[in-house]
Amino acid sequence: MKKALSVVMWAGIALLGAAGLGAIALERGEKLNATWFILASTCTYLLAYRFYSAFIASRVLALDANRATPAERLEDGRDFVPTNKWVLMGHHFAAIAGPGPLVGPTLAAQFGYLPGTLWLIVGAVLGGCVQDFVILFCSMRRDGKSLGQMAREEVSRRGGYIAMAAVLAIMVILLAVIALVVVNALKSSPWATFTLAMTIPVAMLMGVYLRYWRPGRVLEASALGVALVMFGVVAGRWVGESPSWAHVFTLSGTALALILIVYGFAASALPVWLLLAPRDYLSAFIKIGAILALAGGILVVRPVVEMPALTRFVDGTGPIFAGKVFPFCFITIACGAISGFHSLISSGTTPKMITNEIHARMVGYGAMLMESFVGVMAMVAACALPPGVYFAINAPAGIVGHTTEAAAKTISGWGYPLDPAYMVQLAHRVGEQTLMNRTGGAPSLAMGMAQIFSNTIGGSQLLAIWYHFAIMFEALFILTVLDAGTRVGRFMVQEILGHVWKPLGRSGWYPGVLLSSALIVCAWGYFLYQGVQDPLGGVNTLWPLFGISNQLLAAVALVVATTILLKMGRRRLVWVTLGPMVALVAITMTASYQKMFHPDPHIGFLAYARELSAQLASGTIPAAQAAVTSRLIWNARVDAAVTGALAVMVLLLLGEALVEWRKILRKSAPVVLHESPYVATQWAEGD
Amino acid sequence: MRAKLFLAAHRFWWWLRQVTGDAAYENYLRHVSRRPGNSTSPGGHGCELVETAEQFYIEQLNRKFSRISRCC
Repeated sequence: MKKALSVVMWAGIALLGAAGLGAIALERGEKLNATWFILASTCTYLLAYRFYSAFIASRVLALDANRATPAERLEDGRDFVPTNKWVLMGHHFAAIAGPGPLVGPTLAAQFGYLPGTLWLIVGAVLGGCVQDFVILFCSMRRDGKSLGQMAREEVSRRGGYIAMAAVLAIMVILLAVIALVVVNALKSSPWATFTLAMTIPVAMLMGVYLRYWRPGRVLEASALGVALVMFGVVAGRWVGESPSWAHVFTLSGTALALILIVYGFAASALPVWLLLAPRDYLSAFIKIGAILALAGGILVVRPVVEMPALTRFVDGTGPIFAGKVFPFCFITIACGAISGFHSLISSGTTPKMITNEIHARMVGYGAMLMESFVGVMAMVAACALPPGVYFAINAPAGIVGHTTEAAAKTISGWGYPLDPAYMVQLAHRVGEQTLMNRTGGAPSLAMGMAQIFSNTIGGSQLLAIWYHFAIMFEALFILTVLDAGTRVGRFMVQEILGHVWKPLGRSGWYPGVLLSSALIVCAWGYFLYQGVQDPLGGVNTLWPLFGISNQLLAAVALVVATTILLKMGRRRLVWVTLGPMVALVAITMTASYQKMFHPDPHIGFLAYARELSAQLASGTIPAAQAAVTSRLIWNARVDAAVTGALAVMVLLLLGEALVEWRKILRKSAPVVLHESPYVATQWAEGD
Repeated sequence: MRAKLFLAAHRFWWWLRQVTGDAAYENYLRHVSRRPGNSTSPGGHGCELVETAEQFYIEQLNRKFSRISRCC
């Protein structure tokens, strides 16, 4: 009877999910309600978790509840800490949920809601969740070893170095891109700039509280910090409306970029307790709160999706970023479906905290499903805006025109009606001077979120507050990633420099700290500055570069996972990781090739450099612009070189892996699996 | 009903303290005291006993932020 009920229940969920997916994919006559997106995604996630992850857990990985985990065997109360599975799930989700699944889907909405939504759901279920789960398992079986260490041991020594170089490269690109998103969100917005600036003294106050007054009392300090930041959001309106103060906080993109570069350096070199850690707590609370509020708001408001299923820009002529739906939709969505960066978390802290092997399924696979759901919500929020408004906010002035009227004419010409007076009124309603050409995704997502929030609480009177709350929420946790990433990048650089001259590798030697901080900040600062100077807004260049590097890292993780599965003797089941790996290699190599060599200057870096060089040579560029143009040419060539270097790194690793796979399949060499030896758990069930 | 609500709230509070790290020092002290014969002696079970909450907090932060702890 119980089994029959279960069959009926899961059949019902499958039918509901199919209805949701069918509505999203096939409905063309009328505008869709967000409920269909929620239905399609949650039912698919439930089915995937119940059946696919269970299959991977039992058949592919053979999780063993009786095997002691590193947290049990090596428990030290610091790194190796047996942790309740719900607590660990919270930790893991807070660590993997970053700005990517919010910004990526918002940008990918340029193709319409359909391609992005399908990839968010399918990509996560078959790719992202599998990667996170399998890497978590592999690391857990190796006492919490990192991806680089596993690549070195299981693939080859060279493979390990390649993986570590890929991690450093992706870190630099990532930090530049997310900094650019913040710059574009704060540009010429005194309210938003003041609110974000307020978070720095608030974080420092929290730091002092946590260090000296009440050591480690995170909840007390965070409650204080959240209250002060909320006050900052409200006070930002007064600043924005005060002519003298508004002037102080109205900053250009270049000024903001330079401030962020200095800030990144300071955050990397200052003691961690003063700024980085309290900001991290603050950001984690606001992040989780805002995500829950967005989910609740979407369920209550059930907004109508205004964006069509497919836009005309699937042909590659998109104003936000150029390139066809394949491969650029996949590259742009990135973290919401599959993120290489997650493999670093799954082979970092989490595997050292698992109490029982069977929890890896919930933590690894389940947390990524939640991240994918965040991506779907971001897609809904962005697509709930009228398409004309969406493109007006996200398209750069270099494409749509420099005035509201010109932009409205261009965007209306694409078939998405836009009234310039409405854009002026909308900007006024949210307390901004303009919403035009605010590239980067954050402002349009904030607008979509603000509409949902204000329809839930406060109505149009609170629209401006909600908009700036959303901007603050996005910018705050982007800056947290920037702080933390710069610091980790600093350690990586120090490790490399330590091979050149030993003292430079010491984390306590201040000249070494300053030099390595400066190097990592200069690396991402270069790309950030390049993005700010780009007449097309920088997103067209940098976001695909970030997406490519992130997805290439995911390919690296899946190569390692596939190698380990082969060594475990799972030849017939290796498609679980091999399938997504082949898909990712195909996507990223196509995207890399197109970004380097595509003849369209909007897509190909080298074609863009050639076009500018020809204009410079023919004299069509005014002499005053010659220096800027020469810099743009140089930047385009650097971007092409970076893309090429990333692609070559992954191809090299793949080559190393293929040699290893051949040996395993032909049994030409003994298979050595570097798992920790089996030790039976001493804990009774329920410990 | 009231007891169930109280229990749920209590559990949520416990979860929140654990997940935010608010209870990290208490957990650490519990871990140290659980080890036989090592409740007070530093280093007796293979890891050095951290004496104060402040030291533990700083050490924990330095460990956390010297590796990748946040994602994109």
